Amino acid sequence: MRPKQTSPKQTSLADVVRDPEAFEAFYRRHFDDVTRFLARRVADPHTVADLTAEVFLAVLDSAHTYRAGRGSETAWLYGVARNTLHAEWRRSARESRATSRMAGHRPLEPDDVVRLEDRIDAEAPARRALEAMAELPESERALLELVAVDGLSPAEAAAALGIRQGTARVRLHRARRFIQQVPGVVPVMGGTK
Amino acid sequence: MNSTFEDRLLAELKAEIAARAAQGRAPAARRLTGRRFLAVAGVVAVAAGTAVAAPMVIGSQTRAYAVTKNADGSINLWLNEFRDPRQVERDLAELGVRADITYLSLGKRCGNARAPFVAGDHTPTTPEELASKDPAVQARIRKRAEKTASAKAIRPENGITIYPRYIKPGQIVLIEVMENPVEPTVKHPGVAWQFSGRLTDGPVGPCQIVDDPSAFDIGTGTPPAGS
Repeated sequence: MRPKQTSPKQTSLADVVRDPEAFEAFYRRHFDDVTRFLARRVADPHTVADLTAEVFLAVLDSAHTYRAGRGSETAWLYGVARNTLHAEWRRSARESRATSRMAGHRPLEPDDVVRLEDRIDAEAPARRALEAMAELPESERALLELVAVDGLSPAEAAAALGIRQGTARVRLHRARRFIQQVPGVVPVMGGTK
Repeated sequence: MNSTFEDRLLAELKAEIAARAAQGRAPAARRLTGRRFLAVAGVVAVAAGTAVAAPMVIGSQTRAYAVTKNADGSINLWLNEFRDPRQVERDLAELGVRADITYLSLGKRCGNARAPFVAGDHTPTTPEELASKDPAVQARIRKRAEKTASAKAIRPENGITIYPRYIKPGQIVLIEVMENPVEPTVKHPGVAWQFSGRLTDGPVGPCQIVDDPSAFDIGTGTPPAGS
Protein backbone atom coordinates (compact mmCIF):
# COMPACT_ATOMS: atom_id res chain seq x y z
CA MET A 1 0.00 0.00 0.00
CA ARG A 2 1.19 3.47 -0.73
CA PRO A 3 1.79 5.40 2.45
CA LYS A 4 -0.96 7.93 2.98
CA GLN A 5 -0.69 11.35 4.44
CA THR A 6 -2.94 11.56 7.45
CA SER A 7 -4.69 14.69 8.61
CA PRO A 8 -2.70 16.97 10.87
CA LYS A 9 -3.01 15.63 14.38
CA GLN A 10 -4.67 18.70 15.83
CA THR A 11 -7.66 18.34 13.49
CA SER A 12 -9.90 15.37 14.16
CA LEU A 13 -11.78 13.73 11.32
CA ALA A 14 -15.02 14.83 12.97
CA ASP A 15 -13.87 18.44 12.44
CA VAL A 16 -12.70 17.72 8.91
CA VAL A 17 -16.17 16.64 7.80
CA ARG A 18 -17.64 19.89 9.11
CA ASP A 19 -15.28 22.08 7.14
CA PRO A 20 -15.82 22.01 3.35
CA GLU A 21 -12.18 22.92 2.59
CA ALA A 22 -10.63 20.39 4.94
CA PHE A 23 -13.05 17.81 3.63
CA GLU A 24 -12.01 18.53 0.05
CA ALA A 25 -8.40 17.69 0.93
CA PHE A 26 -9.52 14.45 2.60
CA TYR A 27 -11.74 13.57 -0.36
CA ARG A 28 -9.03 14.20 -2.97
CA ARG A 29 -6.60 12.13 -0.90
CA HIS A 30 -8.89 9.12 -0.79
CA PHE A 31 -11.18 9.25 -3.84
CA ASP A 32 -8.96 6.91 -5.89
CA ASP A 33 -8.56 4.45 -3.04
CA VAL A 34 -12.30 4.25 -2.48
CA THR A 35 -13.17 3.75 -6.16
CA ARG A 36 -10.44 1.09 -6.49
CA PHE A 37 -11.66 -0.70 -3.39
CA LEU A 38 -15.15 -0.78 -4.88
CA ALA A 39 -13.94 -1.69 -8.39
CA ARG A 40 -12.36 -4.80 -6.88
CA ARG A 41 -15.79 -5.90 -5.78
CA VAL A 42 -18.27 -4.45 -8.25
CA ALA A 43 -17.95 -4.57 -12.03
CA ASP A 44 -20.54 -1.96 -13.03
CA PRO A 45 -19.39 1.69 -13.33
CA HIS A 46 -22.76 3.12 -12.27
CA THR A 47 -22.81 0.98 -9.16
CA VAL A 48 -19.22 1.94 -8.35
CA ALA A 49 -20.21 5.62 -8.70
CA ASP A 50 -23.28 5.24 -6.50
CA LEU A 51 -21.39 3.31 -3.87
CA THR A 52 -18.53 5.83 -3.89
CA ALA A 53 -21.08 8.50 -3.06
CA GLU A 54 -22.59 6.30 -0.34
CA VAL A 55 -19.17 5.66 1.20
CA PHE A 56 -18.34 9.36 1.44
CA LEU A 57 -21.80 10.11 2.82
CA ALA A 58 -21.16 7.40 5.42
CA VAL A 59 -17.89 9.18 6.22
CA LEU A 60 -19.86 12.34 7.02
CA ASP A 61 -22.06 10.29 9.34
CA SER A 62 -19.38 8.31 11.11
CA ALA A 63 -16.24 10.47 11.11
CA HIS A 64 -16.50 10.73 14.89
CA THR A 65 -15.72 6.99 15.15
CA TYR A 66 -12.23 7.42 13.66
CA ARG A 67 -9.38 7.12 16.15
CA ALA A 68 -6.01 8.16 14.76
CA GLY A 69 -4.20 5.88 17.20
CA ARG A 70 -5.92 2.78 15.91
CA GLY A 71 -4.87 2.88 12.28
CA SER A 72 -4.54 5.01 9.20
CA GLU A 73 -7.35 6.96 7.58
CA THR A 74 -7.24 4.52 4.70
CA ALA A 75 -7.76 1.51 6.97
CA TRP A 76 -10.70 3.21 8.65
CA LEU A 77 -12.10 4.25 5.27
CA TYR A 78 -11.87 0.68 3.97
CA GLY A 79 -13.83 -0.41 7.02
CA VAL A 80 -16.51 2.16 6.16
CA ALA A 81 -16.46 1.12 2.48
CA ARG A 82 -16.81 -2.52 3.45
CA ASN A 83 -19.80 -1.82 5.69
CA THR A 84 -21.43 0.29 2.98
CA LEU A 85 -20.94 -2.43 0.40
CA HIS A 86 -22.29 -5.15 2.66
CA ALA A 87 -25.32 -3.05 3.58
CA GLU A 88 -25.95 -2.62 -0.13
CA TRP A 89 -25.59 -6.34 -0.80
CA ARG A 90 -27.97 -7.22 2.03
CA ARG A 91 -30.44 -4.68 0.74
CA SER A 92 -30.24 -5.91 -2.84
CA ALA A 93 -30.56 -9.51 -1.70
CA ARG A 94 -33.78 -8.53 0.03
CA GLU A 95 -35.13 -6.68 -2.95
CA SER A 96 -33.49 -9.04 -5.48
CA ARG A 97 -33.36 -6.42 -8.15
CA ALA A 98 -29.90 -5.05 -7.65
CA THR A 99 -29.05 -4.39 -11.26
CA SER A 100 -32.16 -2.51 -12.27
CA ARG A 101 -32.11 -0.45 -9.09
CA MET A 102 -28.62 0.90 -9.30
CA ALA A 103 -28.31 1.66 -12.99
CA GLY A 104 -28.18 5.33 -13.78
CA HIS A 105 -28.80 6.70 -10.32
CA ARG A 106 -26.02 9.15 -10.52
CA PRO A 107 -25.74 10.74 -13.92
CA LEU A 108 -22.36 9.79 -15.39
CA GLU A 109 -20.77 11.47 -18.37
CA PRO A 110 -19.31 9.15 -21.04
CA ASP A 111 -15.81 10.13 -19.85
CA ASP A 112 -16.72 9.17 -16.28
CA VAL A 113 -17.91 5.78 -17.46
CA VAL A 114 -14.67 5.21 -19.41
CA ARG A 115 -12.56 6.16 -16.40
CA LEU A 116 -14.50 3.89 -14.07
CA GLU A 117 -14.45 1.03 -16.58
CA ASP A 118 -10.67 1.35 -16.87
CA ARG A 119 -10.44 1.12 -13.12
CA ILE A 120 -12.78 -1.88 -13.05
CA ASP A 121 -10.73 -3.60 -15.77
CA ALA A 122 -7.50 -2.92 -13.90
CA GLU A 123 -8.93 -4.62 -10.84
CA ALA A 124 -10.03 -7.80 -12.65
CA PRO A 125 -7.26 -9.96 -11.11
CA ALA A 126 -8.26 -8.74 -7.66
CA ARG A 127 -11.88 -9.68 -8.34
CA ARG A 128 -10.77 -13.17 -9.38
CA ALA A 129 -8.76 -13.50 -6.19
CA LEU A 130 -11.75 -12.40 -4.14
CA GLU A 131 -13.94 -14.95 -5.88
CA ALA A 132 -11.45 -17.66 -5.02
CA MET A 133 -11.73 -16.69 -1.38
CA ALA A 134 -15.49 -17.13 -1.35
CA GLU A 135 -15.25 -20.49 0.41
CA LEU A 136 -13.37 -19.13 3.39
CA PRO A 137 -15.29 -18.43 6.58
CA GLU A 138 -16.42 -14.79 6.62
CA SER A 139 -14.16 -13.70 9.48
CA GLU A 140 -11.01 -15.04 7.80
CA ARG A 141 -12.03 -13.89 4.35
CA ALA A 142 -12.62 -10.30 5.47
CA LEU A 143 -9.08 -10.08 6.81
CA LEU A 144 -7.44 -11.76 3.87
CA GLU A 145 -9.28 -9.48 1.49
CA LEU A 146 -8.02 -6.35 3.19
CA VAL A 147 -4.44 -7.62 3.49
CA ALA A 148 -3.83 -9.59 0.31
CA VAL A 149 -6.10 -7.74 -2.08
CA ASP A 150 -6.49 -4.23 -0.70
CA GLY A 151 -2.93 -3.97 0.56
CA LEU A 152 -3.48 -3.04 4.21
CA SER A 153 -1.03 -4.21 6.84
CA PRO A 154 -2.43 -6.91 9.19
CA ALA A 155 -2.58 -4.31 11.98
CA GLU A 156 -4.51 -1.88 9.78
CA ALA A 157 -6.86 -4.61 8.59
CA ALA A 158 -7.55 -5.48 12.21
CA ALA A 159 -8.32 -1.81 12.89
CA ALA A 160 -10.59 -1.64 9.83
CA LEU A 161 -12.57 -4.62 11.08
CA GLY A 162 -12.52 -3.56 14.70
CA ILE A 163 -10.80 -6.71 15.96
CA ARG A 164 -7.69 -7.26 18.06
CA GLN A 165 -4.35 -7.65 16.31
CA GLY A 166 -3.71 -11.03 17.94
CA THR A 167 -7.05 -12.33 16.69
CA ALA A 168 -6.23 -10.99 13.24
CA ARG A 169 -2.88 -12.80 13.13
CA VAL A 170 -4.48 -16.14 13.99
CA ARG A 171 -7.24 -15.77 11.43
CA LEU A 172 -4.82 -14.58 8.77
CA HIS A 173 -2.61 -17.59 9.33
CA ARG A 174 -5.53 -19.96 8.89
CA ALA A 175 -6.71 -18.08 5.80
CA ARG A 176 -3.33 -18.01 4.10
CA ARG A 177 -2.96 -21.76 4.55
CA PHE A 178 -6.26 -22.24 2.75
CA ILE A 179 -5.64 -19.79 -0.03
CA GLN A 180 -2.30 -21.31 -0.99
CA GLN A 181 -4.23 -24.35 -2.10
CA VAL A 182 -6.33 -22.38 -4.57
CA PRO A 183 -4.74 -22.56 -8.03
CA GLY A 184 -4.14 -19.29 -9.80
CA VAL A 185 -4.61 -17.08 -6.81
CA VAL A 186 -1.18 -17.05 -5.22
CA PRO A 187 0.60 -15.25 -8.10
CA VAL A 188 -2.00 -12.48 -7.97
CA MET A 189 -1.49 -12.17 -4.28
CA GLY A 190 2.28 -12.40 -4.35
CA GLY A 191 3.31 -9.61 -2.02
CA THR A 192 1.18 -6.70 -1.11
CA LYS A 193 0.84 -3.77 -3.43
CA MET B 1 -21.16 19.45 -18.61
CA ASN B 2 -17.37 19.13 -18.50
CA SER B 3 -16.85 18.36 -14.84
CA THR B 4 -15.91 14.87 -13.78
CA PHE B 5 -17.86 12.57 -11.52
CA GLU B 6 -15.17 13.14 -8.89
CA ASP B 7 -15.75 16.92 -8.98
CA ARG B 8 -19.52 16.70 -9.05
CA LEU B 9 -19.63 14.30 -6.13
CA LEU B 10 -17.30 16.59 -4.17
CA ALA B 11 -19.60 19.56 -4.80
CA GLU B 12 -22.57 17.47 -3.70
CA LEU B 13 -20.81 16.38 -0.53
CA LYS B 14 -19.74 19.93 0.29
CA ALA B 15 -23.32 21.04 -0.14
CA GLU B 16 -24.36 18.24 2.20
CA ILE B 17 -21.82 19.46 4.78
CA ALA B 18 -23.17 22.99 4.50
CA ALA B 19 -26.74 21.72 4.72
CA ARG B 20 -25.95 19.74 7.84
CA ALA B 21 -24.36 22.79 9.40
CA ALA B 22 -27.45 24.85 8.56
CA GLN B 23 -29.78 22.12 9.76
CA GLY B 24 -28.13 22.06 13.16
CA ARG B 25 -29.49 25.54 13.81
CA ALA B 26 -32.81 25.48 11.99
CA PRO B 27 -35.93 24.61 13.94
CA ALA B 28 -37.25 21.19 13.08
CA ALA B 29 -40.79 22.42 12.53
CA ARG B 30 -39.86 23.86 9.19
CA ARG B 31 -36.50 23.18 7.72
CA LEU B 32 -34.86 22.24 4.52
CA THR B 33 -34.30 18.55 4.40
CA GLY B 34 -30.70 19.13 3.48
CA ARG B 35 -30.69 16.03 1.34
CA ARG B 36 -31.77 17.57 -1.88
CA PHE B 37 -28.62 18.98 -3.29
CA LEU B 38 -27.19 18.32 -6.67
CA ALA B 39 -24.19 19.91 -8.24
CA VAL B 40 -24.64 20.92 -11.83
CA ALA B 41 -21.66 22.48 -13.58
CA GLY B 42 -20.68 24.66 -10.67
CA VAL B 43 -24.26 25.47 -9.82
CA VAL B 44 -25.90 23.79 -6.90
CA ALA B 45 -29.54 22.82 -6.97
CA VAL B 46 -30.97 23.76 -3.67
CA ALA B 47 -33.54 22.11 -1.51
CA ALA B 48 -36.50 21.41 -3.66
CA GLY B 49 -37.98 19.35 -0.89
CA THR B 50 -39.11 21.05 2.24
CA ALA B 51 -39.76 19.06 5.35
CA VAL B 52 -42.63 20.32 7.40
CA ALA B 53 -44.29 19.26 10.58
CA ALA B 54 -47.99 18.59 10.78
CA PRO B 55 -50.15 18.33 13.86
CA MET B 56 -51.74 15.04 14.90
CA VAL B 57 -55.25 14.48 13.72
CA ILE B 58 -57.50 14.45 16.72
CA GLY B 59 -60.89 12.80 16.61
CA SER B 60 -62.27 9.69 15.05
CA GLN B 61 -61.54 9.93 11.37
CA THR B 62 -61.93 6.54 9.87
CA ARG B 63 -60.24 7.06 6.51
CA ALA B 64 -56.53 6.42 6.29
CA TYR B 65 -56.14 9.51 4.14
CA ALA B 66 -58.13 11.98 2.12
CA VAL B 67 -57.47 13.29 -1.36
CA THR B 68 -59.61 16.29 -2.21
CA LYS B 69 -59.68 18.66 -5.12
CA ASN B 70 -59.93 22.34 -4.28
CA ALA B 71 -61.77 25.01 -6.28
CA ASP B 72 -58.49 26.55 -7.46
CA GLY B 73 -57.42 23.26 -9.03
CA SER B 74 -55.02 22.33 -6.26
CA ILE B 75 -55.21 18.89 -4.68
CA ASN B 76 -55.06 18.37 -0.95
CA LEU B 77 -53.62 15.22 0.51
CA TRP B 78 -54.33 14.66 4.17
CA LEU B 79 -52.72 11.61 5.74
CA ASN B 80 -54.29 10.08 8.79
CA GLU B 81 -52.92 6.56 8.80
CA PHE B 82 -49.72 5.60 7.14
CA ARG B 83 -50.47 2.59 5.03
CA ASP B 84 -51.03 1.70 1.40
CA PRO B 85 -49.09 4.44 -0.37
CA ARG B 86 -49.88 2.70 -3.68
CA GLN B 87 -53.59 3.45 -3.21
CA VAL B 88 -52.75 7.12 -2.57
CA GLU B 89 -50.77 7.09 -5.82
CA ARG B 90 -53.75 5.58 -7.68
CA ASP B 91 -56.13 8.19 -6.30
CA LEU B 92 -53.76 10.99 -7.30
CA ALA B 93 -53.38 9.43 -10.74
CA GLU B 94 -57.15 9.64 -11.18
CA LEU B 95 -56.80 13.39 -10.66
CA GLY B 96 -54.06 13.49 -13.26
CA VAL B 97 -51.06 13.61 -10.91
CA ARG B 98 -48.31 11.02 -11.28
CA ALA B 99 -46.94 10.48 -7.79
CA ASP B 100 -44.42 8.29 -6.03
CA ILE B 101 -45.18 8.08 -2.31
CA THR B 102 -42.94 6.50 0.29
CA TYR B 103 -43.83 6.07 3.96
CA LEU B 104 -40.98 5.94 6.46
CA SER B 105 -40.66 6.13 10.21
CA LEU B 106 -39.58 9.47 11.60
CA GLY B 107 -35.84 9.19 12.08
CA LYS B 108 -35.34 7.51 8.72
CA ARG B 109 -34.85 9.00 5.32
CA CYS B 110 -34.01 7.87 1.82
CA GLY B 111 -30.24 8.11 1.78
CA ASN B 112 -29.79 7.75 -1.93
CA ALA B 113 -30.32 10.11 -4.82
CA ARG B 114 -33.47 8.43 -6.03
CA ALA B 115 -34.37 10.52 -9.00
CA PRO B 116 -33.03 13.36 -11.13
CA PHE B 117 -33.87 16.96 -10.31
CA VAL B 118 -36.01 19.08 -12.59
CA ALA B 119 -34.53 22.11 -14.32
CA GLY B 120 -36.68 24.52 -12.29
CA ASP B 121 -35.00 23.39 -9.08
CA HIS B 122 -31.53 24.56 -10.05
CA THR B 123 -30.67 27.82 -8.36
CA PRO B 124 -27.54 29.91 -8.79
CA THR B 125 -26.33 29.11 -5.30
CA THR B 126 -22.61 28.57 -4.85
CA PRO B 127 -21.02 26.11 -2.43
CA GLU B 128 -19.56 29.16 -0.63
CA GLU B 129 -23.05 30.54 -0.03
CA LEU B 130 -24.21 27.16 1.24
CA ALA B 131 -21.30 27.03 3.66
CA SER B 132 -21.98 30.55 4.90
CA LYS B 133 -23.06 31.03 8.48
CA ASP B 134 -24.34 34.54 7.72
CA PRO B 135 -28.10 34.59 8.49
CA ALA B 136 -28.66 37.00 5.58
CA VAL B 137 -27.06 34.56 3.14
CA GLN B 138 -29.03 31.68 4.63
CA ALA B 139 -32.25 33.65 4.30
CA ARG B 140 -31.42 34.35 0.65
CA ILE B 141 -30.86 30.63 0.01
CA ARG B 142 -34.16 29.79 1.72
CA LYS B 143 -35.94 32.41 -0.37
CA ARG B 144 -34.53 30.90 -3.56
CA ALA B 145 -35.51 27.43 -2.40
CA GLU B 146 -39.08 28.62 -1.96
CA LYS B 147 -39.17 29.77 -5.57
CA THR B 148 -38.13 26.45 -7.09
CA ALA B 149 -40.49 24.57 -9.37
CA SER B 150 -40.91 21.85 -6.74
CA ALA B 151 -41.71 24.27 -3.94
CA LYS B 152 -44.45 25.86 -6.07
CA ALA B 153 -45.95 22.50 -7.01
CA ILE B 154 -45.84 20.78 -3.62
CA ARG B 155 -46.65 22.91 -0.60
CA PRO B 156 -47.04 22.25 3.10
CA GLU B 157 -50.61 23.56 3.27
CA ASN B 158 -53.27 21.60 5.17
CA GLY B 159 -51.05 18.59 5.18
CA ILE B 160 -49.75 18.41 1.64
CA THR B 161 -51.19 20.46 -1.20
CA ILE B 162 -50.24 19.76 -4.78
CA TYR B 163 -50.63 22.43 -7.47
CA PRO B 164 -50.94 20.65 -10.84
CA ARG B 165 -50.59 23.93 -12.75
CA TYR B 166 -46.92 23.96 -11.74
CA ILE B 167 -46.33 20.38 -12.84
CA LYS B 168 -45.07 19.96 -16.39
CA PRO B 169 -46.19 17.03 -18.55
CA GLY B 170 -44.36 13.84 -17.62
CA GLN B 171 -43.17 15.10 -14.24
CA ILE B 172 -43.61 12.93 -11.18
CA VAL B 173 -44.44 14.17 -7.69
CA LEU B 174 -41.96 12.46 -5.39
CA ILE B 175 -43.09 12.51 -1.77
CA GLU B 176 -41.50 10.91 1.26
CA VAL B 177 -43.51 10.95 4.47
CA MET B 178 -41.85 10.29 7.80
CA GLU B 179 -44.27 9.25 10.54
CA ASN B 180 -43.40 9.52 14.21
CA PRO B 181 -44.00 6.04 15.70
CA VAL B 182 -44.52 7.68 19.10
CA GLU B 183 -47.49 9.95 19.62
CA PRO B 184 -46.13 13.37 20.58
CA THR B 185 -47.31 14.66 23.93
CA VAL B 186 -46.73 17.83 25.90
CA LYS B 187 -44.18 15.94 27.95
CA HIS B 188 -42.43 14.53 24.91
CA PRO B 189 -42.95 17.10 22.21
CA GLY B 190 -42.21 16.26 18.63
CA VAL B 191 -43.79 16.22 15.25
CA ALA B 192 -46.47 13.72 14.26
CA TRP B 193 -45.11 13.47 10.78
CA GLN B 194 -42.92 15.25 8.30
CA PHE B 195 -42.72 15.10 4.60
CA SER B 196 -40.39 16.12 1.85
CA GLY B 197 -41.55 16.53 -1.69
CA ARG B 198 -40.14 17.50 -5.02
CA LEU B 199 -40.72 17.08 -8.72
CA THR B 200 -38.71 14.80 -10.94
CA ASP B 201 -38.74 13.77 -14.57
CA GLY B 202 -37.97 10.22 -13.43
CA PRO B 203 -37.01 7.48 -13.38
CA VAL B 204 -37.49 7.04 -9.64
CA GLY B 205 -35.34 4.43 -7.89
CA PRO B 206 -36.33 2.65 -4.69
CA CYS B 207 -35.65 4.35 -1.39
CA GLN B 208 -32.51 3.25 0.37
CA ILE B 209 -33.40 3.81 4.01
CA VAL B 210 -30.83 5.34 6.33
CA ASP B 211 -31.01 6.84 9.80
CA ASP B 212 -31.80 10.52 10.18
CA PRO B 213 -31.26 11.35 13.85
CA SER B 214 -31.83 15.04 13.13
CA ALA B 215 -35.55 14.30 12.67
CA PHE B 216 -35.91 14.23 16.44
CA ASP B 217 -34.24 17.57 16.83
CA ILE B 218 -37.15 19.83 17.61
CA GLY B 219 -35.05 22.91 18.09
CA THR B 220 -35.51 25.34 20.91
CA GLY B 221 -38.98 26.48 19.96
CA THR B 222 -42.32 25.31 21.21
CA PRO B 223 -44.03 22.23 19.79
CA PRO B 224 -45.89 22.86 16.54
CA ALA B 225 -49.36 24.27 16.88
CA GLY B 226 -51.99 21.62 17.42
CA SER B 227 -49.75 18.95 18.86
